[in-house]
Formats: sequence, C-alpha cells, structure tokens
Amino acid sequence: MRYKFLVLLTFLGMALTGFADDVVFKAQAPKQVILGRPFQVTFTVNQRSRDLRAPEFTDFDVLSGPYTSTSSSTSFVNGKRTSVFEQTYTYMLMAQKVGTFTIAPATVRVNGEEVQSNGVRIQVLPEDEQPNSGSKGNQGNGRQNSGSTGSTNSSSAQDGASSENLFVRTIATKTHVHEQEALLVTYKLYFASVDVAQLTNNTKLPEFTGFLKQELEQGEIQTEMEHYNGRNYQTAVLYRTILYPQHSGEIKIEPAKFEAVLRVQTRSQSRSIFDDFFGTYTNVTKMITAPGVTVKVDALPSGKPAGFSGGVGKFTLTPSISQTDIQTNDAVTIKLDISGSGNMKLLKTPAIDWPEGFEPYDPKVTNNFSTTTSGVSGTKSIEYLAIARNAGDYTIPAVTFSYYDIEEQSYKTLTTPEYTIHVKRSAGDKGDTNGDGTNGVVVYNQKEDIKLLGTDIRYIETKGERIKVKSPDFIEYGSWTFWLCYLIPLVIAILLLIILRKQIKENADINRVRYKRANKVAQKRLKAAAAALKANDKNRFYEEIERAAWTYLSDRLSIPTADLNKENITTLLRQKGVSEERIKEMMDVLSTAEFARYAPATDHAMDDLYTATTNLINNLEKEKI
Amino acid sequence: MMIKFRVESLEFRGFCLAAVMLFSTLCFAQADFDAANTAYAEGRYDEAVLGYEALLAQAPSATVYYNLGNAYYKQGELAQAILNYERALRLEPNNKDAQYNLEFAKSRITDNIVEQDFFLSSWARAIRNSLREQTWIILSISLFVLALAGLLLFLLGRAPWLRKTAFHTAWITLLFCIIAGLNAGSLHRRDTLRNEAIITQGVVNAKSSPDRSGTDLFTIHEGTKVEIRETLGEWCNIRVGNNEGWIRLQNMERI
Repeated sequence: MRYKFLVLLTFLGMALTGFADDVVFKAQAPKQVILGRPFQVTFTVNQRSRDLRAPEFTDFDVLSGPYTSTSSSTSFVNGKRTSVFEQTYTYMLMAQKVGTFTIAPATVRVNGEEVQSNGVRIQVLPEDEQPNSGSKGNQGNGRQNSGSTGSTNSSSAQDGASSENLFVRTIATKTHVHEQEALLVTYKLYFASVDVAQLTNNTKLPEFTGFLKQELEQGEIQTEMEHYNGRNYQTAVLYRTILYPQHSGEIKIEPAKFEAVLRVQTRSQSRSIFDDFFGTYTNVTKMITAPGVTVKVDALPSGKPAGFSGGVGKFTLTPSISQTDIQTNDAVTIKLDISGSGNMKLLKTPAIDWPEGFEPYDPKVTNNFSTTTSGVSGTKSIEYLAIARNAGDYTIPAVTFSYYDIEEQSYKTLTTPEYTIHVKRSAGDKGDTNGDGTNGVVVYNQKEDIKLLGTDIRYIETKGERIKVKSPDFIEYGSWTFWLCYLIPLVIAILLLIILRKQIKENADINRVRYKRANKVAQKRLKAAAAALKANDKNRFYEEIERAAWTYLSDRLSIPTADLNKENITTLLRQKGVSEERIKEMMDVLSTAEFARYAPATDHAMDDLYTATTNLINNLEKEKI
Repeated sequence: MMIKFRVESLEFRGFCLAAVMLFSTLCFAQADFDAANTAYAEGRYDEAVLGYEALLAQAPSATVYYNLGNAYYKQGELAQAILNYERALRLEPNNKDAQYNLEFAKSRITDNIVEQDFFLSSWARAIRNSLREQTWIILSISLFVLALAGLLLFLLGRAPWLRKTAFHTAWITLLFCIIAGLNAGSLHRRDTLRNEAIITQGVVNAKSSPDRSGTDLFTIHEGTKVEIRETLGEWCNIRVGNNEGWIRLQNMERI
C-alpha cells in the first residue's frame, strides 16, 4: 500500500516538472517610442507554435512583419541536458500620434492549445522640436527646475555635453507641505546625443538638513525615454528619497553633484579616413549639478489633542489583549498594532497606565516598515507586558493615539477600549491568608507605605451648607463702637472700684467703732451677767457670758458673729499674735459657757467662770488685739 | 401696654421679612452653586468660573472663592487661582483645603520668593493671619474685660494670694489684649488698604521709576504675591522679597 503511494508521488512530481517547463508566450516592446520613428514589437514563445494571431495595432502603422525566426540551443552541464527553444515573431511599427497606447495580447497555438501573451503599454513621445535649438532648453520653469552642467569650459564644446544634452533634474513631488508630511525627491539624469558610459561614485548629495530622510532602495539604473522641454531624452533615476520636514518654514535643499563618464569620439588632427570611419573614443568625466529646491513647510494647525505625539499621515490602531482572566504572577500582554502610512519612524510609543498591582515591563516594539514612493508605510507593533502581583479586578485605562490626518487635514484620535482584568489569587500565592501559622511557615506580610501616584489640588467644596457668606462686621476696627467696647467696661470697672472702695471704707469704719466699743459692750454684758449671778438666774448668766465672749471677739476681729466658730477664732487670734495660753483660756471659757448652759452647775463654777471671763477680756484688752 | 405690644409685633414682622429674604437669596445661591459645581465636575471649567463669579457678585464667600480658585487652576490660570485662594483665606484663615491648594498652586509658579524677614516677624505675621479681624477684636475686648476684672480683684481683694494672682493675671491679659488689638489693626489696615496683590501678567519687568522708559530692575512672573507700597497714577511701587520697583497696576490684581 505504502509502496503504491510512493510510486504515485513520483509520477506526480514528474508531471509537475513537465508543467513547470510550460509554454511561455511573451510580448515585448519598448516602453517609450518617439512619434514617427519605427520600432519593434516581438512576440516570443518558447515552444514550437503556429497560427499567430496578432492583435489589431489600431494606433500604430505596421511597417513590416511579422518576421518569424527560431533559435534553439542545447547544453550539457554536468551531464544534465538543458535545451532552450525560442520562436520569435517580429513586427516593425510606427506610432501615429502622441499618447499612451496598449497593444492587446496576441494568441498562438502550441500543441493544439491556444496560448495568450501579455499586453504591452507603449508611451508615444512627440518628436524633438528643433534639435539643438540651444536658446530655450535650459530655462527653469516653475518648480521643475532644469539642471545645468556645472562646467561650461572649452571641453563641453568638444564632448558635445552641453547643459541641454546632459543635466540632472531635482524633482520634488510637493514643494508646499505640512510638517511631517512625506515628499519624494528624485534626482533624474537626462541625456540626449551624448553617450553616458557610467556614473562614478563621486556623488555629493545634499545634507537634507531639516528633514528626516528615508532613502528608497535603488536597484539597477534603468534608462527610459522621456519627452522633456520639447526633446526626447534618455533618463535614469539616480537617487530617490522620502523626506519628512521636521520644522515649519522654508527649508532649502542644497544642490547635489553627480559625476558622469561620457564616451566621446576623439577627432584627431590628422583627420585620416580611418579615424573618421572607425572613430576612437575616450572617456571624459563630467560634473553635473542638480539644482536645489526650496520646500515651504506649514506648521501643523493648532488644537492638538492631548495624546498627540507627532504622528502625521493616516493610521489605524488595532488593540488586542492576551487574556483578561488570570491568576497572580501571570503575565498579561496588550498588543497595539499601529498601521498605515506616514512618519512611522517618529511615532512615539503610547504609554499604558497600568494600575497599581501590576508590574509592567518595557514595551517591545516591532517595526515592519517599507518605503515606497508615496512614503513610509507598514505596521508598528507594540507589546506591553505586565505581571499581576495582587488579586482583584483592575481596569486598564484606554490608550489614546492621536495623529494628524494629511488627507482630511484634521487631527484624529484613536482609542483602545478599556480592559477589565480579573486577577485571581493563584494557589501558590498564600498572601496574608495564612493567619494562624499552624503549619509553621513564617509568612511575612509585606507592608507598603501609601504610594503617592500624583499630586493635584484638592477637590472643590460641594456641600451647600458650607457656603457661608461673609458675616458683616459688627465691630469695625477703629470705629466709635470699637472704642466704646473698651470704654464701657473701663467705666464700669472704675464705677465698681469707686462703689466697692466706698463700701469697704464704710465697713472699715463700722468695724473700727465696734472695735473701740468692744470692751464697753463686753463690760456691759459682764455686768448683766453679774446681775444674773446675784439673782441666781443660771440660764441668763451663761447666756450673757457666752454673748460677752462672742460679741467681743466678733467686734475685735471684725467678723460677723454668724461667721464665728472656734476654728477660725483660733486661726485669727494666732495671726494677731495672741499667745497660745490666752487662746486656750478663751476656748475654755467658750466651751464651759456652752456646756454649762445645758448641764447642772454649782455656784462656785459660775463664779469661777465670771472671774475667768473678766480676766480674759481684760488681758486681751491689755494685749491690744 | 397696648402700645408696647404693637411695637413688638412690628419688630417681629420685620424680623420675619428679613429671615424670608435671607432664606430666598440662600436658596437661589444654592441652586447656582450646585450648577457651577456640576459644571466643574464635568470638566466645563469656564462655565464653572462664570457661575462662581456670579455668586461672588452677590456676596463674598470663602467656599465660593475656593471653588473658583480650583476652577481657574484646572484651566491653567495659576495667577487667578492663587488670587482666589488668598481671598478665600482672608475670609476663612484656617480653611485647610484652601491652604493646601494655595501651597500647591504656589509650588507651580515660576518665581521662588524667599522672604528674608527676621524669623520673629514672619511668626508674628503667621499668628496674625491665623484669625480673622473680627475674631481678634472680640478676643481683644474680652481680654480687656478680663484684665479689668483682675485689676479690680487686685485693688479690692484682701487675701494676699488672691491679690497676687489677680495682679499677674491682670497684666498678662492686658498684654495679650494689646497684642490682639494690634493684630486686628494690622489686618484692618491690610484689608482696607488692600496693599497685597498677585501678578496676573505672564512676565513683568519692574522699572526703576514710574515710567515706561525706566530701567528694568528685575523680572517677576505670573502668580507672585507682591506688596504695594505706593501708588502713583497707574504705577505702583511694589516690594517682593528684598526688591523694590515700579510696575503698572494693570499687571496685577489686588487681593
């Protein structure tokens, strides 16, 4: 079974190789032809064929043809046979009018099958107006500055390389652009009636200061015909570059210099017939200067959006996220693809504001740009990687990318959606759940200070009850009310002082009278007591004695009788410097009188008390308390 | 008796009328205030500014000044923000939010003015600014009354300890009374002369004389607080830090 399959495969492979050697039927014609000049169109087929059916050459005159020619060659290389067969049908045509025309495909029959060729586009250029008119070719008109050869020395007459025959044009696609808007600058060599052998490496290109330069890949130099300023030239693109102006204003591109090697027929002095016939050629190097160009650059209009970072062109933004349900310590990747055309190289990488709890890494940027004549286009892929460190639901804010749209002449803002990421605690990440510590594993709970993420002013006051309007000043500084507020208390204080002083004085006077009268009053009471003693009125006696003592003390110490008690009497008497002996006597008298009033007592005791009281008062009087 | 009753009734009616009027203006203000706050919350700061300005035209309020300052700050107008925070603090010297935001806004202005005063005078100014003028006045009067009471007690008291205490209390309170009075006076002068201003122009050159042709002495920037010492026509002699010069009044706004 397997064997059969292998055999089948082998046959299939052989059939494929046979197929690869298939019929190729190609139409070939020069891209540009000149009006009124014959040219060839060939149809080539790589197998024997017949029945060529050429298209109708509607816009061309068929001068002759088709001529059929065949050629075949066989070669053995390392024992391998290679054979090439070619059958060519040739037409001689001549253009009837100027323009671009298409020659429709032809068909041919190969091994009974009809094969179709490709169509060919031919540009018909007008004839040279006045070959070598000299006077008009070299006038720069408009922005299409014609070139000029740098040196017009004697050799130019000799080699025939005048500024009309050989020059380099500086072609800028635009000379009035916005900042960062791409323009293509081409240096194109034009030559006619001279033979340019090659270009040397001695090329001096301008610095292109003020521009960001993006050179276009330059393949092999190919020449094309071009009708320019009434003449048909062979042209070759020498150098192409995309320029992005970096600032506004007029930026000048300096002239460029190229060096070409011309093949010039030398005419020797001898003018022998052989020289004229065969001709001898020498190589002459020639400097060609391409003129400079001034580019007017407008600044980008105002009103730049917040996320604008200098992108100019036309872009699209394709965001994607790797996953939104992850566990702690897993990575999440957000990818932004910015694709389009414009100053791709200058695009800044937009920043993702990862929430706290994610550990972001530097974004990885992959650029896939290609430079074409219309500018740099391609894709800039930015991959943002972050590792979730804490569990929870996080929202990754939208990323905005703004650019200036050259076509619509306005700022555009592209926004990614907000992503919500749910982070679960992974099994290995115990975190702070291991509170009891029974398994003996020490878990360090990592404490963090509050991180200041940014500073801003505090928010406005929104509570309505806080709008207190400024209360009117009820005491204005310096006003009469103000001074009155001091004056009134002062007056009150002075009045109080006067009144109280007076009262104190009055009190003092009363006290003095009482002080002076104290002895008299006491003696009066003692007399009354003596009378009571004689009358044996015990109650009255003790009352009089007590009264005599208290009244005396009250008057002498200037204290109302009601405020008197034994304690303050002792203190006051001590303060007045009365001896302890007298104080004790006084206390004895007071206590005896107090107790005796309610207890039965003898006459003798009453006599003693009377004597003691009289003596005490006399003694105190002597001591002048 | 009848007459007295009628008088009272009239007074009562007047009071009611005043209360109703006050209440209605407050309600009106409340609605406008909420509208301006909403505008602020939605990021329409220019509308919020207009709303707060309209409220302030009715009656000055620390809260509204503070919010206005915030709205200006959000628009990037630092000078106006600082000016309004300062005004809010004039009315409520201890408003913590206004203090914080003022410091915050000040940290973003260009000029770094280092006051080279003696430290005591800056302390004194800080103490002075910590209370309102009215508060200082009331404090001064209260302390005066206290001092008088102490003096009376000293003059009339009998116990030596009482008289001693009263005497010391009296002179200390009298001293504080004078300090409070001086602070009130200082604040009163500041508020009536309005001799502090905020530079509103981006960059201003201070001249040596009140004249356009005067020599440029120094440059100050938006948001800087200056002291106006003298006014001559449209020119003001200002002091900032240790520098003095003449600038035009239109380049600044008095607090």
